[in-house]
Amino acid sequence: MLMLPELMVIATAFAVLLLDVLVPEKRRVVLAPIALAGLALAFFALLATPQDGELLGGRFALDVVTWWFKLLFLLAGFITVLISLDLLDGRVRVRARGIGFRGEYYTILLFTISGMLYLISARDLITLYVSLELCTMPLFLLAAWRRDDLKSGEAGLKYVIYGAFASAFLLYGLSFVYGLTGEMRLDALARQLQGGAPPLLWLAAALIVAGAGFKVTMVPFHMWAADVYEGAPIPVTAYLSVASKAAGLALMFQMFYRVFGPWLHEWSDLIAVFAAVTMTLGNVVAIVQNNIKRFMAFSAISQAGYTILGFLGPLDTGIPAMIFYLLVYIVTNLAVFACIVWYSNETGREQIQDYRGLAQTNPVIALMMMLGLFSLAGIPPLSGFVGKFFLFSVCAGAGYHWLVAVAAINSTVSLYYYLRVVRQMYIEPPEENAPRLTASPTLATTMAALTVGVVLLGIVPVFYETIHGQTITWLAALAQ
Amino acid sequence: MTTFLAAQTPGLTHWIVLSGVLFAIGVYGLLTRRNAIGVLMSIELMLNSAALNFVVFNHFRAPAGVDGQIMAIFVIAVAAAEAVIAMAIFVAIYRRRGTLDVTSMDALKD
Repeated sequence: MLMLPELMVIATAFAVLLLDVLVPEKRRVVLAPIALAGLALAFFALLATPQDGELLGGRFALDVVTWWFKLLFLLAGFITVLISLDLLDGRVRVRARGIGFRGEYYTILLFTISGMLYLISARDLITLYVSLELCTMPLFLLAAWRRDDLKSGEAGLKYVIYGAFASAFLLYGLSFVYGLTGEMRLDALARQLQGGAPPLLWLAAALIVAGAGFKVTMVPFHMWAADVYEGAPIPVTAYLSVASKAAGLALMFQMFYRVFGPWLHEWSDLIAVFAAVTMTLGNVVAIVQNNIKRFMAFSAISQAGYTILGFLGPLDTGIPAMIFYLLVYIVTNLAVFACIVWYSNETGREQIQDYRGLAQTNPVIALMMMLGLFSLAGIPPLSGFVGKFFLFSVCAGAGYHWLVAVAAINSTVSLYYYLRVVRQMYIEPPEENAPRLTASPTLATTMAALTVGVVLLGIVPVFYETIHGQTITWLAALAQ
Repeated sequence: MTTFLAAQTPGLTHWIVLSGVLFAIGVYGLLTRRNAIGVLMSIELMLNSAALNFVVFNHFRAPAGVDGQIMAIFVIAVAAAEAVIAMAIFVAIYRRRGTLDVTSMDALKD
C-alpha cells in the first residue's frame, strides 16, 4: 500500500475531529496523544513502503526523493504537535489570549501534513495544484488561531491575501505550461518541452518561481514572512518556518527537476542571484530585529537562500545536499523554537532582551538554545556546519566561486546576530529575583531529543551517506 | 459593423488576451483596493482568469482530452474554499477592530 501514510494521517485527522465532538472538555487532553500516535503510525508505514512504485495510473508515485521528503514532513509535523500540546492544553504559567480549540487545531495541522505528503507524490498538474492548496490553506487559519488577538488576526489576513495572490500567479503559470504542451502529466509535459523552449515558457517559469518562491520565502517574495511569523502562535510559527518551507522546496523539486529539467542549467545564473540576494537580505535585516519571532523569520529567510544553492549543481550532488540540509534545518530550527515556545509558555515574553540571564536561572535550556543557534550559524562540529558544507561544495563544483564567498561572508554575519541572543542569555545578568523556570516533561524531552539530533546529525555520517547512496542508485536506475 | 462582428469566431489569441486582461484587472484591484473583501474579489478574478486559460487551452491545444476542463472545475472548488477561509478570518478581524481597511493593518512591526 503506497498511499498508507497519507491515508493514516487523514484518518487520524477525522478521528481527532470526531473525538473532539464526543469527548467532554476535560478529557480532551487525549487528542494530542492520538494525533501523535497517528503520525507515528504513518511514519512506520512510510518506513515499510518501498521507495519505488506508482498508483492511480501513475498520477501518484513514490521514489527516493519523494520518500525522503515524506519522512521530513512527518518528522516536522510530529515535533510541531509535541511543542504545541502544552500551550493548547493550558499547561502554561502565562496564558496566551484566545488560544484553544484543540480538536480543530490538530485536525487542521494533520490536513496540512497530508497535503504536503500528496504534493511531493503528485505526478500531474491537477493533483499538484490541489495538494498544494490543501497544504497552504489550513495554514492561513492556523496563523489566525488566536481569535481575540489583534496581531494574530492581522497575521492571518496578511497571510491569506499574500498566499492567495501567490497561488494565483502559480496557477496562471501552470495554465501556460498546459497550453504549451496540452498535457497534464508531468513526465509527458517534460518530454514535450524537450523539443524547444518558446518564449512563453520563460513567462510560465517566472510565474511558477514567484509562486514557489513565496512558500520558501525567497527574496523578493518574502515580505509576508516577518509579519505572519510574528502574529501567529509560536508553535505555528515553528511549523511555518520548517514545514511550509519544506513544502515550497518540494514544489520547486517537482517543477524544476520533473518539468523544466532540460532548461534548469540555463537558469543557474538567475538562481545564483536569487540565492545571494535572499541570504544577504535575510541576514542584514535580522541584525536589527528585537522580537525573537521576527528575528527567527529573517534567519529562516537567509536559510532559504542557502538551501536553493543545491539547484546549481548536478542532480547526484545537489539533491542529497538539499535533502540533508532540510533535515538538519528542520531539527535545528525546531530545537530553537522548542526553547522559544517554552520561554513564552513560562513568561509570556518574546523580546530578545527578555532572555537576559537565562543561563543563570536555567543553564541546561540556555545551553540547548545556544547549541541550536550555533548550528543555524554553521559552527563545526554541529549539524548546521555539515549541511552548509555540502551545499557550498555543490555551489563551488558548479563554478560559482563568488557565490561561495558571498555565502561564507553571510554565515559570518549571521553568527553576529545569533550571538546577540547568546549574549543576552550568558553575559547579561538576570533581572532581580528572576525565578528558576520549570519545563513540562513533554517539552523538556522534546528539547533534549532535538538537541541530541542537532549534535548527532553533524557527527554521525550515516544520514548523509544513506541519502546520497540512495539518490545515486535511483538516478542510475532512471538513466537506464 | 454588427454583421462583421457576428461573422468572426474568437480564436486562441482573443481568449488569451481576455484572460490576460482579467488577470491584470485582478492585480490592479489587489493593489488599489482598501477593503479586504475587494482584495479578495480581485484575487478571485485572477484565479478565474487562470481557469479560463485552462478551458481555452483544452479546446484549442488538446481537444481530444478533458484535462483542462477538469482543472477548471478544481480551480473553482479551490477558489470557493479559499473564499471561505478568507471570510472566516475577515469576520474574526471585523468583530475585533470594526473595520476591514487593509491600510490600517499595522499592528505587526518591530
